[in-house]
Amino acid sequence: MSFILEARNIGKSFPGVKALDGVSLGARGGSVHAVVGENGAGKSTLMKILSGVYRADAGEILLDGKTVEFASPRAAAEAGVAIIHQELNLAPALSVAENVFLGREPARFGFVDRRRMERDAGALLDRLGHALDPRQDVASLKVSDRQIVEIAKALSTGARVLIMDEPTTALAADDVERLFGVIRALVGAWAAVVYISHKMDELFRIADEFTVLRDGKLIGRRAASETTPGELARMMVGREIYYKRGGERAESGGRGNIELLRVENLSSREVGEGRAPRLSGVSFNLRAGEVLGVAGLMGAGRTELLESLFGWRRTTGESRVALNGRRLDVNDPRQAIEAGLAFVSEDRKAQGLALDLDVGGNITLAQLKRFARFGFIQTAREKEAARESIARLGVKTPDTRAAVANLSGGNQQKVVLARWLLTDPKVLLLDEPTKGIDIKGKAEIYRLIEDLAARGLGVILVSSELPELLALSDRIIVLREGRLAGALDRSEATEERIIELATLGNKESGS
Amino acid sequence: MSWRLSETKKAEAKRPAWRLSDAKYRVSKLVATLGRRRLGRVKLGRLKPFVGLITVFALACVFSPARRGEIIFLDFGNLTDILRQVSEKGIIAVGMTFVILAGGIDLSVGSTLAFAATLSSVMLMRGGYGTPETVVTVLAAGLLVGAINAAVITKGRIQSFIVTLAMMSAARGMARLVSGGSGVEIGYGDGGAPQSFASVGAKVGALAPVPALIFLATVAMAWVVLNKTRFGRYVHAVGSNETASRLSGVSVDWVKFGAFSICSLLAALAGIIHCAQLEQGNPNDGVAYELDAIAAVVIGGTPLSGGVGTVIGTLAGTLIIGIINNILGLNNVNANVQLLLKGVIIVGAVLLQRK
Repeated sequence: MSFILEARNIGKSFPGVKALDGVSLGARGGSVHAVVGENGAGKSTLMKILSGVYRADAGEILLDGKTVEFASPRAAAEAGVAIIHQELNLAPALSVAENVFLGREPARFGFVDRRRMERDAGALLDRLGHALDPRQDVASLKVSDRQIVEIAKALSTGARVLIMDEPTTALAADDVERLFGVIRALVGAWAAVVYISHKMDELFRIADEFTVLRDGKLIGRRAASETTPGELARMMVGREIYYKRGGERAESGGRGNIELLRVENLSSREVGEGRAPRLSGVSFNLRAGEVLGVAGLMGAGRTELLESLFGWRRTTGESRVALNGRRLDVNDPRQAIEAGLAFVSEDRKAQGLALDLDVGGNITLAQLKRFARFGFIQTAREKEAARESIARLGVKTPDTRAAVANLSGGNQQKVVLARWLLTDPKVLLLDEPTKGIDIKGKAEIYRLIEDLAARGLGVILVSSELPELLALSDRIIVLREGRLAGALDRSEATEERIIELATLGNKESGS
Repeated sequence: MSWRLSETKKAEAKRPAWRLSDAKYRVSKLVATLGRRRLGRVKLGRLKPFVGLITVFALACVFSPARRGEIIFLDFGNLTDILRQVSEKGIIAVGMTFVILAGGIDLSVGSTLAFAATLSSVMLMRGGYGTPETVVTVLAAGLLVGAINAAVITKGRIQSFIVTLAMMSAARGMARLVSGGSGVEIGYGDGGAPQSFASVGAKVGALAPVPALIFLATVAMAWVVLNKTRFGRYVHAVGSNETASRLSGVSVDWVKFGAFSICSLLAALAGIIHCAQLEQGNPNDGVAYELDAIAAVVIGGTPLSGGVGTVIGTLAGTLIIGIINNILGLNNVNANVQLLLKGVIIVGAVLLQRK
């Protein structure tokens, strides 16, 4: 019943911000403790204090009932508190075993005892109930397997408290299930897991206890058996904001039957080492004013579908794409933009934003031509347009010259959307548009998508969050291993049906 | 007369010993104070190179030898001479700013300068061409060097470091081929170069050296291009996030093409000035100029990762190096000590600029 790791009345301030104020948390051995709250609620700061990245201004941390102070993440790890960040920290060119024992290789006569290292790594993975060849290079592993390697690495250092920050963000449904299996094996043995996530449905499958934070304060603690997602959501935001689909579009959805985009036989070539799955013979159409959802497991080809349409990925000869009845043949993003396509990629920081440019520069990047004469930018007009976009999308920023890096995830995503709306697109391709965005920000983006569809844009929405997909889409197509596994109308689409289509025939490969 | 001269030289040679240790103490104090104001520095981000420039300028005034009660460093002739001395490397550094901002690097500029200088002297002395034809041809040749760099980098998908490393060797080879391996002296008058070429390295009126004016004009034009044009915005965007730029429809290859072309063009311009100032085109000149240019850019606050930075910062960085060299020279500090100090300053400047 006693806590392995306990935090009491933690306070932490940054210049101008009180990030944490009197927050307490206790993680028991053999249980999963979930920390929930909106972005900016203080979850990350708390985790960084628990794992030795930051030092608390007030309060104390107890490990096995004794007060401890971690000077660095390394000190925390040595004491038995390990953190697994959203971005994994592995050396891709090294093998699984080498990664697990990185910096602590078992040695004999000064040489690495490779056989022992691999045997021990294998034993650790077995204990986690996960068969993985310790000699395999990490580069060849799926994201979900890499995560398991991180967990094994933490265990090999003797960690008894494992902090996991949004571990399922990049995982598809069956990988999430396997990760949960590993977590259960872990806590069943002896450890405590502190788990941060936005995904309420997943949390209820894995967590034993919840701690809810809001604006840096502790709002409450609940046992999983005594609470509901609704109650937690209310605690997180302080009021109910469930997303409800706008009624008027429900009727106008798919506006008449005007076909906007027709895709036939879309197939993409192997790229590079061919690790990315190919698309083969995917056909569908998109009507004006329609939101078409794309579902599928990780690696089913959802992102590849959008990238192929946008000219970012080579398609093969038999692919036919037509926009407004006219053949579309795009080989690079510039042509796609000119044709009226817009693509919000999944990874905002790596593919969406130019973090060194200010908010205005990011908004006008795809359409700078419009604000230039003889190559010279007409600053006043550019600023005017950026300001209009900011006002229209409700981007929270002091002005157009503010640094994009300082905005919250939701506002950064709005900046990316603003950039694309300036290009006056006909078809909007959205890849996980609400990834890493808090509930309030999500609701705003949903409203925006609805609004754009109502104006006659065609939207293709890729999302791993099925409730989101179900709420927004008029139709859903499901991909499996690069092929179309099925299409569901709004009336027949359910989570079960989608998962069935996405996983059907996928059982024997089960890797 | 000659006796008196050697006497004063001796006196000057003695002075730096204590002055230098005094300077060290003051600099270390200054660095310590700047270091303490960590929070204030974030806001001052863009001004940092100027804080450095003003500091160096002030220190130079303090440590300058004086003649008849006047500070030699502040003498107008000395100040314009600093500008003249830094103009060649400064012009190269301006071009380097484009390339580094766009996320690349150009190691071939020193060799390009040598190539441009020898080509100029050969055309003038052996080809009998006039000044305009020579200047236009040499600038075109510089542009070609940049175009080749850019073409190989973008089409061959090879890192700019490697491509320009190869060009560093190739351009040096071309310079030697053009001149036959040795320097070609410029002579004026009958059978020599036209007098108009001499004006490239001369002074306007009594005090304004043409190379310095060209340098300042280059900085001004680069500022306009980088801050007021689409191309300039794209240079920043590509250096900040190449993938995002491509996905936003920016012609990344053309932006790189432009940046590398401008860089080599300016290196060729510096080569023409070099030729006019030294009155010879030597294929062995300009060695390690690329490193001085990179140093000036970095001291000026542009990180090698690209995306952020200003050409005004590069001007400040160039002047910082120039003033330090000048003041050390005025104090007769050993040239080897100058090199050593430059190393310290590069690292110090970057440390001070870190967030």
